[in-house]
Amino acid sequence: MKWKEILVFAVITLLAVSLFAASASLIAAAKKEGKVVVYSISSRISNAAAAFEKKYGIKVEAYDLHDYELVEKVSKEAKTGVAGADFVIAQDAGRVFGELIKPGYVYTYMPEDMKSVIPAEFQDPLVFAFITKVFCYNSQTYTYPPVDNIWALTDPAWKGKFFFKDPFKEGVNMNFLTMVTSPEWSAKIAKAYEDYYGKPIHLTTPNAGYEWIKGILNNGLVMFTSDTKMSESVGVKGQNVKAIGLFAYTKVRYRTSKNLALMPIMGMEPFAGFYYPAYLLMVKNAKHPNAAKLFIEFLLTPEGFEPWHHSPGVYSSNPEISPFPGDNAFKIWKEILIGEDGNYIFNHRAEIEDFWGSFAY
Amino acid sequence: MYFSKPQNVIMIVLLVILTYLVVLPLVSIVLDTFKVHSSELMRIRGANVGDFTLYHWKGVFTGRFSSYIFYKPLWNTLLVATVTSIIALSIGGFLAWLVTRTNLKYKKSISTLIVFPYIMPSWTLAMAWLDFFKNERIGGAQGLFTALTGIVTPDWFAYGFFPIVMVLGLHYIPFAYILIGGTLRNMDANLEEAAVILKTPRLRIIRKITIPIVMPAMLSTLLLVFSSGMSAFAVPAFLGSPVRYQVLTTQLFRTLNGVNPGYGYLIGLFMIGVGTLVLTINQILLGKRKSFTTVTGKSSNISLINLKKARFSISIVILVALLLVTVIPLGVFAIQSFLVEPGNYHLSNFSNIFWVGKGSPDIANGEPGILRNKYIYMALWNSFALSLLVALIAGSVGILVGYAVVKTRGKPLSSLLDKLAFFPYLIPSMAFSATYLSLFAVRRGIIPPLYGTFLILVLIGSVKYLPFASRAGITSLLQIGKEIEEAAIIFGVPWWKRMFSIIIPIQKPSFLSGFLLPFISSMRELSLYILLVTPSTQVLTTMLFKYNQKGWTQYANAIVLLIVVVVLLSNFIINKVTGASVDKGIGG
Repeated sequence: MKWKEILVFAVITLLAVSLFAASASLIAAAKKEGKVVVYSISSRISNAAAAFEKKYGIKVEAYDLHDYELVEKVSKEAKTGVAGADFVIAQDAGRVFGELIKPGYVYTYMPEDMKSVIPAEFQDPLVFAFITKVFCYNSQTYTYPPVDNIWALTDPAWKGKFFFKDPFKEGVNMNFLTMVTSPEWSAKIAKAYEDYYGKPIHLTTPNAGYEWIKGILNNGLVMFTSDTKMSESVGVKGQNVKAIGLFAYTKVRYRTSKNLALMPIMGMEPFAGFYYPAYLLMVKNAKHPNAAKLFIEFLLTPEGFEPWHHSPGVYSSNPEISPFPGDNAFKIWKEILIGEDGNYIFNHRAEIEDFWGSFAY
Repeated sequence: MYFSKPQNVIMIVLLVILTYLVVLPLVSIVLDTFKVHSSELMRIRGANVGDFTLYHWKGVFTGRFSSYIFYKPLWNTLLVATVTSIIALSIGGFLAWLVTRTNLKYKKSISTLIVFPYIMPSWTLAMAWLDFFKNERIGGAQGLFTALTGIVTPDWFAYGFFPIVMVLGLHYIPFAYILIGGTLRNMDANLEEAAVILKTPRLRIIRKITIPIVMPAMLSTLLLVFSSGMSAFAVPAFLGSPVRYQVLTTQLFRTLNGVNPGYGYLIGLFMIGVGTLVLTINQILLGKRKSFTTVTGKSSNISLINLKKARFSISIVILVALLLVTVIPLGVFAIQSFLVEPGNYHLSNFSNIFWVGKGSPDIANGEPGILRNKYIYMALWNSFALSLLVALIAGSVGILVGYAVVKTRGKPLSSLLDKLAFFPYLIPSMAFSATYLSLFAVRRGIIPPLYGTFLILVLIGSVKYLPFASRAGITSLLQIGKEIEEAAIIFGVPWWKRMFSIIIPIQKPSFLSGFLLPFISSMRELSLYILLVTPSTQVLTTMLFKYNQKGWTQYANAIVLLIVVVVLLSNFIINKVTGASVDKGIGG
């Protein structure tokens, strides 16, 4: 028995050493490359880049892009063979799958040591974090949430008072609208209509989801190009703002720095907003693949996630990283938010785009 | 021997190059309107990338959604372009008349200030308008105007059609002023003078003599501003989006960046068609009276109209109005770039973090102040290097075009080169860059894909601004008598020496404007580059657009100031060193 134990111990030690060795060789290879280029949909990448530079002495060029730009640029760069990004933090599942992963322009690299940490369902493609967008109101104007049903936003009382990001300026918003029309969610929206008005919905469009989209557009929906601006517009103090915005929940971090009064409407029927994953993906013709791998691994650790940990609304795929103090666990948010179904989005988003466009402009 | 003459060699070489850089992209974009693109697989079911399709043509012109995709933006575009050109023409023309024909005061200051709105990027005024007049529709934080007066601006005044045409109109007033003023200054005043001696009433002189003579210049202004207004992108993008006001360029940008680029290519093609049509009309109108003003032969000055009592008040009104549209916007940017909490104008709320701050995690995700940001410096350097290269290439090629065209005048190839070198002017910037995107995204024969390189920016900038330089080149070479060069040829002076020792020195100021205009235009260009930049080839304007879209207003305002300072400073230095100035050439 004893010998067996020793043998097991030796094997484990060997494994561990070889693992560390792999990591050490990765570090060495990365240092040799000396540089890494990343395109990211989150501007906080620049802080992570600074930390990474400091830790490994590897230079980082970090570019912050819109999701549509990122897809455009990466696919063009891959097609033309231009050296661009080594890895990306991308969002907008439909386009990322269809236009980047499928043609092989990007692929998943799963760091060995993280395989046991990151839940299996987030490993391929590798999820960096989940981001939530939630209905918010001005908590100086209202003590309690002024509405609790999405149909209120189609009421004359809220005409011109509902703010939303221009879905043509950020794909995840279009994905959300697409999901709203899915059989599952449109049924819930139809039920919410009955709860709100006390009568069944009368359809002029394919389903209740479409009907709601048409309703908010005909009710003077205001489109923003930026979630930051929207959060300022909803949350500014002393102006008696009577508006509701659906924007990235992480913007509530401006409560103190920009003196904003913002609260989420968690009880909104049938959903309080939506969430979407941001993926970590290696680029096919990366010039600095090892540095990129090292950076990806770094971003999955608490140390690398630090810049995103300053605020609520962003949740690492690494369960060891707890949410921002005071924020709910992602599990709780997931229950009340709409998620992305890549397949449904890929097959139906074009219809929603046309539908939206024809009412919006 | 045909090729023993340098002008013939230059001609053929330029024709080949320009065919490649101007005509081929057009062919490529036409083909692209019939193709399935990779991002369209979501849209065109069951198709493969590269398949032939009529989807785009049907969708844009006859589809169920063609009204929002095409017809409504088209109508808005035509309306914006028309009203813009009318505003620019009436105000610019009136100012030109006041300055050249009356005893207005402060003429020099007015002349200097008036080119400001043109030198500044057009969207600086749009941003200022938003900062100044925005209302609660898009934000709880009120604009400066509401903060000062308590008056809440109505939506139509703050966003959409009205501010778009106001801002674009203001931007193109200098253009009308320069074109019409130039004609007024150079025209033979004897006719007017004769009428004065015959005691013809002033209004009758204006109606019967002045206006008919400047008519071609006025029509040109109208058409050129119309085509510029049609291709404007940033101004409608900034001012239109809060009320969902779409024009063709904003649709173009959206579709090319979204999931249906085929629509974008088609819209771009359509815009090129309209631009060509408008400018062809212009050519026909001008072509009828193709005489060139010569350097000499200008008659004595006409006696100026005495504005009498109104003189002082009119002068002051104009001067104040000009200050309002030049200095005030810059002031607004300056103030806004120091405000931490938007809309709070208390002194305690002022901070220089957006300029020199190290970046704090709770403001704009720790973005450092722009003077500490290495990416801003990179973009500044890119902008500067790009504009310099564009100016050098466009300016030099412009002289060569002028030489070849003038020396072989009357031959068919000469007028072909003339037209080809002017053609990029007719193409709306964003549509033009769409053609480059379409042509240079893949390897074509021996030419590697240029997408993502700095070179493609230099190429498109040089070609797009060649018309300024080739115009300058042609007109100035026309003014040089043949005899001078012929004398040198007899003495066996080689071609390059003739160019550098005789031709270029004679028309130096005029040639220089062929370098200056491309430089300044490129420094403030957004729509030409925005589709083609990649993160490492960002220029200042595309960077600014990004900051603005992100809602990081303070950084954006600081960058605007940076751009304006660089442009004004370059203009000033070039003007002092070489004597060239913007108001000597045409612009777009």
